[in-house]
Amino acid sequence: MNDTEQLIKEALGRLAERTPHPGPTLNALRRKRKRQRNNIFLIATAGVAAVAVLVFGGLIASDRYAPPMPNDAAAALVPVGSGEVSLKYAPHWLPEGFGETSRTTNNAVTRVWSVADGKASVVLTALGGMPGTAGWDEVTVRGLKAWARVADGAASVVWKAQDALDVSVRGVDDVRAVALRVAESVRADAKATHRAPFKVEGEYADQMSGVAPDRWDASLNLGSATVHVATQKPELAAAEPVSVRGREGLRSGATVAVSDGERWIWATSSAYSDRLVELVNDVELVGKPDTGWIGKGL
Amino acid sequence: MTPSFDDFVAEQVTPLLRYATVLTCDPHLAQDVVQEVLLRAQQKWERIGSVDLPHAYVKRMVTNEYLSWRRRRAAKDVALCNTTLESVTPPVGDTTHHYDEREAMLQRIAKLPRKQRAAVVLRYYENYEDSEIAQMLGCAEGTVRSHISRALATLRLDHTPEPAGVGLRLGEGLS
Repeated sequence: MNDTEQLIKEALGRLAERTPHPGPTLNALRRKRKRQRNNIFLIATAGVAAVAVLVFGGLIASDRYAPPMPNDAAAALVPVGSGEVSLKYAPHWLPEGFGETSRTTNNAVTRVWSVADGKASVVLTALGGMPGTAGWDEVTVRGLKAWARVADGAASVVWKAQDALDVSVRGVDDVRAVALRVAESVRADAKATHRAPFKVEGEYADQMSGVAPDRWDASLNLGSATVHVATQKPELAAAEPVSVRGREGLRSGATVAVSDGERWIWATSSAYSDRLVELVNDVELVGKPDTGWIGKGL
Repeated sequence: MTPSFDDFVAEQVTPLLRYATVLTCDPHLAQDVVQEVLLRAQQKWERIGSVDLPHAYVKRMVTNEYLSWRRRRAAKDVALCNTTLESVTPPVGDTTHHYDEREAMLQRIAKLPRKQRAAVVLRYYENYEDSEIAQMLGCAEGTVRSHISRALATLRLDHTPEPAGVGLRLGEGLS
């Protein structure tokens, strides 16, 4: 193998270190699967209701109500109002130098603490239900039965408190011991809340990450498009002007962006459509977004 | 016995994200690609779960999704930018010469045409043989060798090592 090939290997290895945490992907997956289940449920319910109407003349219209599933991941979310979501849990011990860098609040609440170089992270997730733990080590967390495993250099500990919780740690010495110590320190915290910095089409941003209170990016994936509000201008190539939010914005490929005060708002999709302009127009910004947690430790 | 889809996801989501990150040079795009693929895989899990190597099948889906995703996007899209990467995992300041060379090489890899880049990733990151890469990309082995040869020629041509201590600054675009 020559020098160039060796360098390619090292460069790709370097890139692999920037692999995102699976939490947001799993959350998005859960949300979309739930949406699909809901659609099937609605169709089935509509069918049953139609038959019932024919048979009973509309006497049982109230049967369309179905109680929430006990394992519904959304049960981990507690809307407080004004776009605030209760985070419900917080660790009371973290390794030195960790600051909070990401929050996801769609189906399951996920909080991420990282070190400055991003090489090590602690992730706390409130799961919708207990994951499969076949092959995991049985341990205890505050006297509760729990399971731990180390895979791909990351340690995970899961246990069932009021909700099923997962603590995952990577990038530190003895990841298993650190994960167990963090898990032991997790407590229910009614004061821990998160306020999304924007909403669009009635939904609040459900992901937010950053490195400092004045440098962050919040987003909401609507399925057909993703809407962002951030402190930094997005990377745009060969942009052309477009009128949006009553001012001149930019259109580049399938992205429409505009600067609004100190923030950038953009919507992106796999293909351009006028909906991107409508989405950016419809974004409602929160006056004083809650950014004090970004980069902050315990 | 067919593994459950949930077990498969729990086991494979991180390796798939890692592969997609290296393939796309963009952690956000990697998340989108893996998410789309897993949603489709779930709908066809009865069939996918029964093949010999479900993870290889899904990995091929990720490759195809990346190639078609790229086709759907504007040709002028930036392939790799530090802002995107920083938002997920900020790079570490490093003044060593070797580090600079790796970062510079990353920039050049990110600019390769998508099939050449995929072939390079499969050869040098996944250590696949030509026949395996051909199967993954759905092309002939000769085409694979051509992709890699052209990619290496480009990467070598551009390979002009920077002097020690010269590195990328945070926020600096990579392409």
